[in-house]
Amino acid sequence: MGMFGDVDGMLSFLQIAAQQDLISVVMSLIWIIFMMIFLFYPTFSQRLQLSYILRDLERRLHKLKLMRDEVRNRTLETLKKYSDKGVKVDEELDNLLLSFMITPESMDPYGIVYKLEHILRTWEDTFEEHVKMICKKADAELAKTLTNLVDVARGIDYLYRVVRHYYLLGKKTANMYVVLQIQMLMPQLMEIAEAYRQACYAFMHGQPIGDGVGVLAAEKLVENMEKKTYEIAKDTIVHETTLDGRKLYVLRAAGPGGSVGRPADGVLKILESEGDRVKAIIMIDAGLKLEGEETGKIVEGIGAAIGGIGVEKFKIEEASKKRNIPLYAFVIYQSIGEAITPMRESIAKAAEEVVEKVKKLITSKVEEGFSVIVAGIGNTVGIGLS
Amino acid sequence: MLPQRREEKGVLKPLTYLKCLECGTVNSRPFRDGDYVFKEVEEKCPKCGANKMKIIGIYVKEAPKKPGQRTA
Repeated sequence: MGMFGDVDGMLSFLQIAAQQDLISVVMSLIWIIFMMIFLFYPTFSQRLQLSYILRDLERRLHKLKLMRDEVRNRTLETLKKYSDKGVKVDEELDNLLLSFMITPESMDPYGIVYKLEHILRTWEDTFEEHVKMICKKADAELAKTLTNLVDVARGIDYLYRVVRHYYLLGKKTANMYVVLQIQMLMPQLMEIAEAYRQACYAFMHGQPIGDGVGVLAAEKLVENMEKKTYEIAKDTIVHETTLDGRKLYVLRAAGPGGSVGRPADGVLKILESEGDRVKAIIMIDAGLKLEGEETGKIVEGIGAAIGGIGVEKFKIEEASKKRNIPLYAFVIYQSIGEAITPMRESIAKAAEEVVEKVKKLITSKVEEGFSVIVAGIGNTVGIGLS
Repeated sequence: MLPQRREEKGVLKPLTYLKCLECGTVNSRPFRDGDYVFKEVEEKCPKCGANKMKIIGIYVKEAPKKPGQRTA
C-alpha cells in the first residue's frame, strides 16, 4: 500500500515537472551546481568575496595612482622652474621621494628624545639642502616652501606604495584578511590622498594652509604694536613687546616661506634669559576635530599644544615643569584635510577671535611687571611678518 | 603638458583680502602668486584710489551656514 503510494507520488511529481518550462529547469540545475560547489569547495565563498574586494581595491588604487602622478608631475614642473639647466630633476626628485629617516633604538629609552632630535634635525637639514641644491634659482623663503612641496609629494607617494603593497600581497597570497583590512581603511586613506593633492597646489603657490592658524593668530596679536623682532632659533622669530604692563614674547616660525621653525628652542632661550619672570606659556595651534565638530571652533585647555614627532613637545613640557610655569593651550579645530589645504574662512576668522581670548588670559593670569611667552605653532607658508 | 582642466578639478581657490592703508576699505580679489598675509602691495583702492594696500587675509570663502547646519 505504502509502496504504491510512493509510485503515485513520483508520477504526480513527474507530471508537475513536465509542466514546468525550460528556464526553471535550468535555474534549478544552476542552483544545484552552486550547492555542489559550496559543498565540495568550502572556501569558494571566500574566493568570491576576495575577488570582489580586490576589484574594489584595484579601482581605488588606480585613482590613488592618478593622484600620486598628478602631485609628482606638479612638483617636478615647479622644481624645474627654479633649477639650472643640466640638473636631472626627475632623478633627484625620485631620490627625495624615497628618502627616509631611521628612528633611534628604544630598547634603552634613556635620552631617546635627544637622539631622535639629532636624527630628525639632520634629516630635515639634509632634505632642505637637497632641495636647495636642485633649485638654485629659488631664494631662501621659496626653498623652504619647495621643501614642503616635495614633502607633500613624498607623503602621497609613500601612501600609494603602502596601499599597493597590501593589494599585491593580498592578491599573491589570496589572503582575504590582508585585503579586507586595507579596504576598510581606504575611505580615510583616499581622504588623506585628496588632502595631499590640494596641499600640493597650496605649496606650489605659497598659499596659507589651515595648520598656519596658530602662526596667524600670534602675528595678529602683535599687529600694529611697537615691537622688537629678531631670530631666536633656526627659522624661528620672536616679537618682544608689552601688553598692559606685561612683557610679551610672541614666538612663531619665520615666514612667508613654509616652515614650522623650532619653537622649543625659542622657548628655552627666552626662559634662560628671562628666568623666573616668565609666569605663563600660552600655545596656539590647530587641533584635529572629531567628525561632526565645527571647523574653526576655539577650545581652551592645559598643556603643550604642538604636534609633530614629539621632540618639541617634550622639551617645552620639561622646561615648564622645571620652572613650574603653567602651560595654557588654545586649539582651533579642523580636520586633517583642512589642516594641509588652503585656509578656510572659518579658520581665518578664528585667528582673530583667539587673539582676544589670549589677551584676556594674559591679563587674568599674569601680573603686571612679569613676562609671558605666546607661541604660535604651525606652518607659516603664506604668512609674513606684520 | 598635463591636461589642466581634468587635474585641477576641485582645487580650492582662495581669495586675497586687502585693506586700504588710507581709508580702511577691505576688498578682495583672486589669489595671485607672491601674495602673503601682512604684505604691503601697491594696488589701487576701489574706494579712495590710494595706491597702498595691505593683505589682511588669504582664505577660501565658505558658503554661509544654514541655521542648525553642522560642518562635516
